Amino acid sequence: MDDSEAQKQRLKAAVHFSVASLCENIAADSEKQFTKQTIAAIAETAFRQCDIFAKDLEAFARHAKRHTVTMDDVKLTARRSTALYNYMQQKSEELASNNQELKDKRKKNAAKRKSKEMEPDENEVED
Amino acid sequence: RMKRQTGNNVLPKSYVMSIFKHFAKTKVASDVYPVINEILEKYFNRLADDLEAYATHAKRKTIEVEDFELLMRRQGFVTDRTPVNVLIEKYLPLEYRKLLIPVATSGNKVIPTQRR
Repeated sequence: MDDSEAQKQRLKAAVHFSVASLCENIAADSEKQFTKQTIAAIAETAFRQCDIFAKDLEAFARHAKRHTVTMDDVKLTARRSTALYNYMQQKSEELASNNQELKDKRKKNAAKRKSKEMEPDENEVED
Repeated sequence: RMKRQTGNNVLPKSYVMSIFKHFAKTKVASDVYPVINEILEKYFNRLADDLEAYATHAKRKTIEVEDFELLMRRQGFVTDRTPVNVLIEKYLPLEYRKLLIPVATSGNKVIPTQRR
């Protein structure tokens, strides 16, 4: 019990740190300061929002009879706000194209490796 | 749909007002009805929209009970502490309860088959 509490505190501290650095960026951009309390409040909100997101995502994945949360589930959580949805759509397409590139590269590498395997005494690492 | 376009009521006025008065527990002026009607219309439109999205998410074309359960979970009615059956028992009359909760009608069966 005590261990999980400590874990939670660590997580919260990490969130707080990230929120603080994000707020710093925003403050620099808009030339307005955030009070410490504001940052703490945003961090706490983000933490609890994560709780809600996690539960929603889990429910969505289970609903589609999957055990793994996918991009579809994430998009479904943002369906209500059009701007956010469009942003996520764009990001997911970027990610997909990046993944495709990586896959293509890997395929090429695999092809090379295969041609190498023909030669004896060649040790390589599997990925 | 045709009815809604002509500006008619989503649900009968007497029905809506009796439910509203039951939950409000104070006197309710009758001129709030148009507002409630508008809200209900929006609510149902949104409901249909969400249910459609959830059904397509599960690669179905038919909206099923689980879609609605998911919706109520997202709306915060169903939580880990209050499962659907508790809500059904609390808010629905006996004949609907019988329809929805298999335990109520299964007789002596220990594990009733789910009606889905």
